[in-house]
Amino acid sequence: MQHVAVKRGAGHPPAPRPSLLGRIGRALVPLLWLGPSIVLIAVVVLWPVIEMVRTSLLKFTSSGTSLGFHGTGDFTDLFAESDLVPVLLRTLVWVVGIVIVTMVLSLALGQLLNARFPGRRAVRWAIIVPWAASVLMTALIWRWMLDNYSGLINRVLLDLHVIDKPVNWLAHPHQAMVWMMAVAVFVSLPFTSFVILAGLQTIPADVYEAARVDGAGPLRTYFGITLPLLRPAVLIASIINVINVFNSFPIIWAMTGGGPAHATDTTTTYMYKLAFNDQHIGESGAMAVVNFLLVLVMVLVYLRAARWREEVR
Amino acid sequence: MKRRPLRVVLLTAVGWLVALVFLAPYLQMFLTSLKPERELNKSPGAYLPDHWQWNNYVDVWKHAPIWTNMRVSLVVAGVATVVTLVCAMPAAYYSARNRFRGRGAFLLLILVTQMFAPTSLVVGIFREMVALNLTDTLLALILVNAAFNLPFCVWILHGYFSSIPKELEEAAFLDGAGRVGALFRVTLPISVPGVVTAVVYTFISAWNEFIVALTVTSSPNRQPLTVAIPSFITQYQEHWQYLFATSLIAIVPVVILFVFIERYLIGGLTAGSVK
Amino acid sequence: MKRHLTGAIAAGLTVALGVSGCGKGSSSGGDDSDGKTIKFVAAIYDDNTKPFWDALIKDFEAKNSGYKVNLEMVDWTQMDAKVKTYVQTKQVPDILNYNSFSDFARDGLLYKASEVVSPGTLSDFTPTFVEQAKYNGEQYTLPFISSARLMFYNKDLFKKAGIADPPKTWADIKTDAQKVKKAGAIGYGLPLGPEEAQAEFFSWAMNDNGGWVDASGKWAINQPANVDTLNFLKDLNKSGLTQPNPESTDRKTVFNQFAQGKVGMAIGGPFTKAGFITPANPNLNFGVTSLPVKNASSQPNTLGVMDVLDAFKKNGGKNKEAVRKFLDFFYQKENVSRFLSKEGFLPTTKSAGDALSSDPYMKQFVDALPTSKFAPTSNPAWSAVAGAVKQSLGTSVADKDPKKVLDDIQQTAQKAG
Repeated sequence: MQHVAVKRGAGHPPAPRPSLLGRIGRALVPLLWLGPSIVLIAVVVLWPVIEMVRTSLLKFTSSGTSLGFHGTGDFTDLFAESDLVPVLLRTLVWVVGIVIVTMVLSLALGQLLNARFPGRRAVRWAIIVPWAASVLMTALIWRWMLDNYSGLINRVLLDLHVIDKPVNWLAHPHQAMVWMMAVAVFVSLPFTSFVILAGLQTIPADVYEAARVDGAGPLRTYFGITLPLLRPAVLIASIINVINVFNSFPIIWAMTGGGPAHATDTTTTYMYKLAFNDQHIGESGAMAVVNFLLVLVMVLVYLRAARWREEVR
Repeated sequence: MKRRPLRVVLLTAVGWLVALVFLAPYLQMFLTSLKPERELNKSPGAYLPDHWQWNNYVDVWKHAPIWTNMRVSLVVAGVATVVTLVCAMPAAYYSARNRFRGRGAFLLLILVTQMFAPTSLVVGIFREMVALNLTDTLLALILVNAAFNLPFCVWILHGYFSSIPKELEEAAFLDGAGRVGALFRVTLPISVPGVVTAVVYTFISAWNEFIVALTVTSSPNRQPLTVAIPSFITQYQEHWQYLFATSLIAIVPVVILFVFIERYLIGGLTAGSVK
Repeated sequence: MKRHLTGAIAAGLTVALGVSGCGKGSSSGGDDSDGKTIKFVAAIYDDNTKPFWDALIKDFEAKNSGYKVNLEMVDWTQMDAKVKTYVQTKQVPDILNYNSFSDFARDGLLYKASEVVSPGTLSDFTPTFVEQAKYNGEQYTLPFISSARLMFYNKDLFKKAGIADPPKTWADIKTDAQKVKKAGAIGYGLPLGPEEAQAEFFSWAMNDNGGWVDASGKWAINQPANVDTLNFLKDLNKSGLTQPNPESTDRKTVFNQFAQGKVGMAIGGPFTKAGFITPANPNLNFGVTSLPVKNASSQPNTLGVMDVLDAFKKNGGKNKEAVRKFLDFFYQKENVSRFLSKEGFLPTTKSAGDALSSDPYMKQFVDALPTSKFAPTSNPAWSAVAGAVKQSLGTSVADKDPKKVLDDIQQTAQKAG
């Protein structure tokens, strides 16, 4: 809306130099096209972002009443938390581990889904299911299967004599982290492997034909031709995954709640628990700011490493 | 020619195994949803229900307004997708076709916005909706989902539009189709896979969204499935059988949707790979 | 395909506009300037809670024309987050069914009890609970329901293990748990997970003369008796006499297993029978006895728990009349007793007191109430302390040092005031 008004306003005054007006007009044309996006982002996303930053600078009582400006006090309190460093390190392991495993498995799955065999379409549909189910539902069924007393996984492992008494999988921080990362990979695979599959399908058949004529073996063809050509698909899939995995909330929330204590928290669940369980609202705001800076840095480092600028020009 | 059958057999075996792994949790979901409540906590757990309680699928409708929740989920995800698309397409098209001042800034804004998760902003979002007088409305959920998915859509469509040679459009333009005509007759049809991808991505993440819906809505008839489903597990009671029955009721239509558009999806997902 | 899509989108839009359109009128009430519409946020105790309030509100609205109550039901697992968001954004409901009030009172958000109920209702509350509802000597909240904790034990398992009498002391608990374990079940079910660690811990600590505060009312969370209590519980866990991983076990897990006959003893409340045992295993042969004491010579205390109704100041006091009407309506004897008997809780008013004593199961809890000790809910720092306790206390019986864990919580408490 706004840009239209601006444009009209610019048209009214008598123009001494039409070329200037023309230039202004031309400068405003992009707003027509980009306007709706910018307005939507500004109103719905940036507004709460400003609130978030404001929260991190205010002092709050435990009930949630604001006591006014607190300077960097919330940040000092946050950095004094003894749980912060372990949570940060765990988040790093969480993101890097999940994204790498997801990418490797997706490259394999992409190949599989691209190959011809009977029932391929049905297999594709099966792989889509975790994407269609909401992450929360998937996390809940895994929590149910991992239950110490009546969970299916203990039952199967007991029957196979892999374990001789039930294992309380989600109660031990390390085991719980491994399982939750597995679930995160499980829910990330459909999207990622479909991106890879789509990438594979853009590779023209004659490229492979040429490689075959040159006498390249399957391994050399894959690493010499397929993988380089998949680079754009891998790039986009991994950026999306880094962002989504970093911000992932429902898996940990549903499976361990970040507990015992903060032993399975990542920065996202930690931030939530700071506000709503520990009653430190300002500190939680500070954590949110730190959280954003972290993902920003991670993505920029990744883009730099992957030389994104060249891609976009 | 000789190793060909072996290869196919192997691929088929691996393929079906993979499918089984992906479906197993949902099979367990199905079996659990058929157990009577008193069998749920048996230990060790049982593979199959002792009594197949098909009635759970009837009773669950009495425990929660599932139709309403489902309609809310569909409406929020559907309308948010349309809003996202309406905003994203012009922006993506224009920034893909033209160099202008602020283009870099715009693309950066898009990338940065992508990094904000609603989870870290819930209280701010709630405060905003209070100010806009939109708490406990579907419109609030629609706006939030549309806005937070916009960046990905702009990004993927931008990539897709860039990959379509300008010459194609020019040709149609010269044929007298006009700028807009060329856009609609040439560029858009080619971009269907990209658009489908944007649609599916937005729809799925809106369909999955949980924290904002939990915070912003308060009446049961304005809550999506993601909020209704965990409410089967409260502090004192756990109706896992209903929880999973509802989950399956919700999953099936989306899977069917996917089956129909899978073909388009594969073409579209390469779009973000900007060349 | 394309035409279908367009149709679907159009239909979607129409529905959306329709839904959000009619949504507006009735939504987010409580802000109505006439002061006759109030918002009530109620906690979900079980499947009966919502039907109860729906019916009560309907009845209230029929008898008080022009008044309207907008009900929002919130599960306890999400309550803290909802309440925080509401307070932080100044969107508090008029009435809130919650488990704390003192920090709201400290921050000037609540009406005094005398402002929102009639003198008749006010004088009907049992004095024990009125004491728990005071901040700085003034009653700021309305006792809603109460509960007490007692020791549940499985009689069949006891018989199988050769135990004749219910446990009375901590030493009994340990020996009985060992015998039950030999009989093939879990000796004692110890829920120290984030759900209600503070209640389980206090149930033990109070019977070792421990607790949250010292005689002068100052925080004394790391006092020796508390360390001693945790060491005892840790020993139970490390000797394999509890279920695995008490630090991440919530009450419902323990009671689901108790109902299956797999747990010898566990501390439960009035709701345990209707909530867990009857639905899963109505024939379970169990008994209820007082909480065990450290020294055989001391009298057993029981843990008292009280939930409250907080009345928030809003719109410059315009809502006061409607709030008072609704609260007085609810606190009529029949309404309160109906709620209590449906939900299995104990009364906080004198008039509803007798209704439950006719049930022998309930009577045990009613009889235990006079010996009950409460968490210091009237201290505004309590909610922060409870938060820290829920999060971290359980780790003390696993791999952390009990003294260290308690020291940390003590620090949190002192920081909070």
